[in-house]
Amino acid sequence: MSQLNTTPEESQMAQVESTKPDFSAEGVAAPPTSLTRVAMRKFFRNPFAVVGLIVLLFFIVLCGFAPLFTHYNPATIDMLHASLPPGTDGHLLGTDEIGRDVFTRLLYGGRVSLIVGFCVAFCSVVVGTLVGAIAGYFGGWVDMILMRLVDVMNSIPSLLLNIMVLALFGSGFWLMIAVLSLTSWQYVARLVRGTFLQLREMQYVQAARAIGVSNWSIITRHLIRNSTAPIIVNATLQVGTAILVESALSYLGLGVQPPQTSWGLMLNNAQEFMLTNPMEAIYPGLCILLVVLAVNFIGDGLRDAIDPRTKLKISRRRLQKWRNRFSKSGI
Amino acid sequence: MTEYLIRRILQSVLVLFLVSVISFALMHAAPGGPLMVLLPKSGTQAAILQQEKNMGLLDPLPIQYLHWLGQLLHGNLGYTYKNHVPVGQILWPTVGNSLILMGVSWILSLLIAIPWGIYNSTRAYGLSDNISAAIGYLGFAMPAFWFGILLQEMFSLNLNWFPLSDMHSMNKQGDIGDLIWHLVLPVTVLVLGFLASYLKYSRASMLEVLHMDFVRTARAKGASEKRVIYRHALRNALIPIITVLGLDLPILVSGAVITENVFNWPGMGRLFVEMAFAREYAVLMAISLVSTVFVVIGNLVADILYAVVDPRVQLGKKGGAAA
Repeated sequence: MSQLNTTPEESQMAQVESTKPDFSAEGVAAPPTSLTRVAMRKFFRNPFAVVGLIVLLFFIVLCGFAPLFTHYNPATIDMLHASLPPGTDGHLLGTDEIGRDVFTRLLYGGRVSLIVGFCVAFCSVVVGTLVGAIAGYFGGWVDMILMRLVDVMNSIPSLLLNIMVLALFGSGFWLMIAVLSLTSWQYVARLVRGTFLQLREMQYVQAARAIGVSNWSIITRHLIRNSTAPIIVNATLQVGTAILVESALSYLGLGVQPPQTSWGLMLNNAQEFMLTNPMEAIYPGLCILLVVLAVNFIGDGLRDAIDPRTKLKISRRRLQKWRNRFSKSGI
Repeated sequence: MTEYLIRRILQSVLVLFLVSVISFALMHAAPGGPLMVLLPKSGTQAAILQQEKNMGLLDPLPIQYLHWLGQLLHGNLGYTYKNHVPVGQILWPTVGNSLILMGVSWILSLLIAIPWGIYNSTRAYGLSDNISAAIGYLGFAMPAFWFGILLQEMFSLNLNWFPLSDMHSMNKQGDIGDLIWHLVLPVTVLVLGFLASYLKYSRASMLEVLHMDFVRTARAKGASEKRVIYRHALRNALIPIITVLGLDLPILVSGAVITENVFNWPGMGRLFVEMAFAREYAVLMAISLVSTVFVVIGNLVADILYAVVDPRVQLGKKGGAAA
């Protein structure tokens, strides 16, 4: 995945991985395996991560191509067909108290939740990387000021800040994305700063500096590329957090506003009609749970895949198997 | 140590100052001041101006800020715009209510998580360990308010075991049994959230210690497994857990915003949302400041506790906890 991972263990592991076919009877040397492929292979061997990926793709397809799966409009009110039980008149999950198709609303609400999740994760990672990169690369007073900023941002409970801003400035889709991104970049900033502090002393960075590469190029071409792995893991986990926060804010009535809908807003609605229509509260929450679980599994899978230590644990067992086979083959 | 403490406290004061400036700036950058809510139609332009003047809203912002800060240092959190009630009068009772809810959940989850985590670390990847891992995943991925709604549907609407919401039944203020009865559902929601992280921490920290040399030495010299775990390993495993607890202290005050809203618990989180919709600037600022104070104190306590429980840590030295 990156040159960052060329620690002794990792390269040793890569060797183990690439020498694996040598123990086979033919003894044909395999082509050298890149670290990215090692990580990929590790990722796809993790059943949780693969299931997570499938579930997430399922939801993305279902919500992204919502019009293909339903011909209802999520906001159309139809009092004649209100509160229908699931499965009647082509309403897969029934209708809510004012006759809107629940399945359709789930799909369109999922769009909002997923878009918010991915946008917020992307934006907060961009902001965090930028701040962390500048702080870590330049150090000194720049670092001091930016890190105090991180301290300040960390001291205000971010949920309170989100509620305050959204309530005062009026809630809306894009404002919510902006606010959530601006209150969740601190961890990435710390992470990137940490790696940059280590990496900037590396010889290849000094070499780049010596031949006159500009600061910007060093940061973007050498340093950021070498810290992508932890950033990607963190971005994945951020998607889940953002979806949870979005749903909480929408539940409080501060997120997306009707006629738009999101899973959180549907739950807000469902709580009011708990007595008459208890099933309505189940679906949106289940969707949130599944998507966030999926994203977290993917994130954990990625982290294990790029972490050289997890490799060691697995391969030791496998190594034993190869050794057994090797001794049996009698070479 | 003293020098380090002084530096940390100064840093905390700086952070608090910046936070107060930020929240003050936010309040005043909001479109349509507080009077938009108070006098939407009835007031003429002149009446609005007069009203603003009386409330000091026409002064330059830095003056307003200093005035507010000066009042704050005298313990005066300001007055609400609407009925001119002192903010402290409506804020402090809710802080108490939040503390009851969160304190009970926090202590309960610690009582469950630490022994369970230790047990799991001695039988890693066993059944109990897998169950706790599942709880961890659920706790991190389940929206707390959804869990709350499900509990309400199940246990108060269908089974009618516990009350749907609120802190007391009618005419039963101060009845401990009634309070506990109302606490059950919200505490369940919060405990699940806490358990998710605490189980993970206590297990991981215990596992790490169990692989250390001194544990092997203790076993080698023939100490019983009980003694190895409780006298040698546990004490060292508790160090990182204590730090996490210190960092989590602020959650005791502001952590239950969502749960309080689901269960209509009269705590600070519910007050905050209510006041955000009503645009009561003074209350919002007071709450965000109070919770920030708790965060800063929590961080400080975590650092100090870390040094107190672990004699190897020397605060203020390079490479110590301060780095």
